[in-house]
Amino acid sequence: MRALIVDDEPLARERLAALLAEIEGVELAGEASTGFDALEAAARLKPELVLLDIRMPVMDGLEAARHLDALETPPAVIFCTAYQDHALAAFDANAVDYLVKPIRVERLRAAIGKAQRLSGSTVRRLENAAEPGRRRSHLCARVRGSLVLVAVADIDYLLAEDKYVVVHHAKGEVLIEEPLTALEEEFAGRFVRIHRNCLVALAKLSGLERTPDGRVLARIAGVGVPLEVSRRNLPALRKLVRTL
Amino acid sequence: MSDATTRRWLPQFCSLPTLFAVMVVAELVALIIVLAPDQHARPWLSRLGVTTVYVQWLALLNAVVLCSMRQPLERLSARAGFVLAWVLSVAATALGSAVVSQMDQALGLGLTVPAGESERFVLGNAAIAALISAALLRYLFVLEQWRERVSAASKAQVDALQARIRPHFLFNSMNTIASLIRTRPAEAEQTVEDLADLFRAALGSGDAPGTLGEELDLMDHYLRIEKLRLGERLRVDIDVAELPRDLPLPRLLLQPLVENAIYHGIQPLADGGTIQVVGRHAPGHIEIAIRNPVPPDAAPARNGLALANIRARIEYHFGTRGELRVEPGGGEYAVTVRLPDASPDR
Repeated sequence: MRALIVDDEPLARERLAALLAEIEGVELAGEASTGFDALEAAARLKPELVLLDIRMPVMDGLEAARHLDALETPPAVIFCTAYQDHALAAFDANAVDYLVKPIRVERLRAAIGKAQRLSGSTVRRLENAAEPGRRRSHLCARVRGSLVLVAVADIDYLLAEDKYVVVHHAKGEVLIEEPLTALEEEFAGRFVRIHRNCLVALAKLSGLERTPDGRVLARIAGVGVPLEVSRRNLPALRKLVRTL
Repeated sequence: MSDATTRRWLPQFCSLPTLFAVMVVAELVALIIVLAPDQHARPWLSRLGVTTVYVQWLALLNAVVLCSMRQPLERLSARAGFVLAWVLSVAATALGSAVVSQMDQALGLGLTVPAGESERFVLGNAAIAALISAALLRYLFVLEQWRERVSAASKAQVDALQARIRPHFLFNSMNTIASLIRTRPAEAEQTVEDLADLFRAALGSGDAPGTLGEELDLMDHYLRIEKLRLGERLRVDIDVAELPRDLPLPRLLLQPLVENAIYHGIQPLADGGTIQVVGRHAPGHIEIAIRNPVPPDAAPARNGLALANIRARIEYHFGTRGELRVEPGGGEYAVTVRLPDASPDR
């Protein structure tokens, strides 16, 4: 079994690697120091197991686990944490395996023995129980078998098309398979709905304009083409633009 | 900082216990007025009756005025509120006296003073009110401050009993040690010693104060442990050479600030950053500034609890001569502690 170690602390990674060396049938595939790096490493190294620290900069372990589930062959995940008081109860309630640091080699061996892959919905339940109302820092899309992460802060607007949502961001566009309403709910306050099929980043919204034929368009900073505002969303949007 | 503690010094004059107290004081004043040697034709009991009615009426008038003015008074600073309450009370008494003396003369009852002397009557009453309300208000003010002190003292004691070091830190440090034991036993040993010092201070602080030098050492030990854990991400720039190391200081006054800097500043940053600690010594006081970078999307005031705790302890130990300033903004967070240095030889 090939394992990826993810922790932002070098000494913690060092110790985990030393422990793994004692366990038969497990081999170290690589190391990563943030959730973001972990996804990149997981896509490249294709480990069967990821030992994931929870508190990390850029992207924490919970969010990384959720994105890992989008990989073609998602790895099994074991969370590692120093101390998280009430958050640990969330893990127990969802029967998700976690190890507390300093990790004992017997506990690690037992956890690896029954390690399983986590479905995205389990992780979502976990996130909600540990910290209600938390938001992802990145959206994750699969492009030709590999993962593409888009920082939420870089997104200009989201456009629903058939069963996909097109994420238009600073460096291009990607498709994700998530309903627009769920995104609207998760990122309330960051995105505003201007049309039945469109959410716009509030920070990028630069103004409204009216066309000669009476339609209203929303201008978005850095995007050449203005987007159509539906009659239904116009009053709320007007109010919002005035307060900007 | 002092606003919060001194704002509620004026009691509810409309409440029954306070009204009763005001009436007792008023009756004492009436007794004093009647007992004071003077040449009066009427018997003292009748004079006491008239004086009582009059003084009680004035006292109630004062109570009503202060009660209705309570909110605007409390919006002012303690000093301005005190002066305004006093002025209100004197003015209410003078006005009340003028009205009573006019009515008395119009009705011809002769209960107050002969006609033509009403000016002396009004001024005299105003002067009595000025003296008594000044004493009473001062008493209430001191009483409220004393209550504040007692509660702050007990709070500071409770706070001192709690180890302010995060449990997270303990377990992370244990993990660091577990990992060092295999490869670098000497560093593991030193980390155990540093950790022991920190927990000795956190668990056994009690009432015995430490010194600034001890606190700076503690901060060093703490940073040494965190540097092992965070590696290259934590960089430290300390300049505290000019601080007087023998200055008495409550324990764990600076370490929590550095801990905050790491937990909210360095740790969430992928590339870490530099924590800067600068100590300055001026005549009569010292200043210690702790700066750290913060992630751009950091939620503001997340560490309010630890700051409030330290602020309360500074106020308890140093009163208004100590302060804690916070300057967020520009991707940086700065906390400055200013403490008095009372020793005469410096």
